[in-house]
Amino acid sequence: MSGMSSSTASSPQSYVKLEVARGMRASLPVMLGFVPFAMVLGAQAAQKGMPAFLVPLMTGLNFAGGSEFTAVRLWTSPPHLALIVAMSCLVNARHILMGAALAPLMRHVPLRRALASLFLMCDESWAMALADVKSRGVDRISLPYYLGVAVNLWLTWIAFTALGAVLGPVLGDIEQYGFDMAFTAVFLVLLKGMWRGWRKSLPWLVSLVAAALTYLYVPGAWYVAAGACTGLLAAILMEPRDA
Amino acid sequence: MPDATLFLPLATVALMALTTYATRIVGFLVLRDRTLSPRMRAVMESLPGCVLISVIAPSFVADRPADLIALALTLLVAMRFSLLPTVILSIVATGALRYLVG
Repeated sequence: MSGMSSSTASSPQSYVKLEVARGMRASLPVMLGFVPFAMVLGAQAAQKGMPAFLVPLMTGLNFAGGSEFTAVRLWTSPPHLALIVAMSCLVNARHILMGAALAPLMRHVPLRRALASLFLMCDESWAMALADVKSRGVDRISLPYYLGVAVNLWLTWIAFTALGAVLGPVLGDIEQYGFDMAFTAVFLVLLKGMWRGWRKSLPWLVSLVAAALTYLYVPGAWYVAAGACTGLLAAILMEPRDA
Repeated sequence: MPDATLFLPLATVALMALTTYATRIVGFLVLRDRTLSPRMRAVMESLPGCVLISVIAPSFVADRPADLIALALTLLVAMRFSLLPTVILSIVATGALRYLVG
């Protein structure tokens, strides 16, 4: 690579830089949405007696908010390792489907790089990369754009969960101010970007109803998996056999 | 030198991180070398929405009236505006409604 002349190397490199920058810019509103959640998570972890250094370690290595809230809710001293790991796995089972959805769009990425990039896959970075594919009408994700989004979100998450753990006792209950709705707002805008008409979006409605009912009547974190799988099933049943 | 009381917390976090990473790569590895039929491709297209809407399903059945009104407002705003104004308006509306309606 070092032997490459600057004139041939500069154009793909500047393209990558531009794409990373585009991803970083696009992630700004989502970063804003992350801040209150991260602070609440850090504060709750501190309240449950999780050592402060462990909070950014968990949020940096695990980087999946839903499972971290679950872990903190279940945290005791000493923690029930098996229970926490099992529940975290359940909350994150949707990643299996999300990774599967990315597979056909990432054929151009070498395996090692793809596996490393997937470490940073969260709901938002994944959905934004897919929305970007759709809006540009292409059939592969822009890896630098995705990484621009994902790295920003990852650093925001680590920094503000750590801050929450340190400041937690001072902050009190910041949930009451309405910041938690930011999460729903981000998801609704992402859904709008994926909208393909009422008929094709019927599986979403099935997912919504199934997830809501599971949330109301089944204790634990089953609702995400139940909603996603029921919607997928509806999509399979709706699709004609020889499309 | 980590003492014994830190072993379980560290092991819990390490195992969480490992299993979470596994969920991220498993679906990708399974589908990587396969060509999906047009039918399966059409099915996979509705999947992202199914996942996202399932994650936020609890806000649709919130037990506070203020939260339900705020959700309806957020939905309306999200249909018309981009990410940043939607996020800001939804936070402000939710905070105000919780204060006013309870």
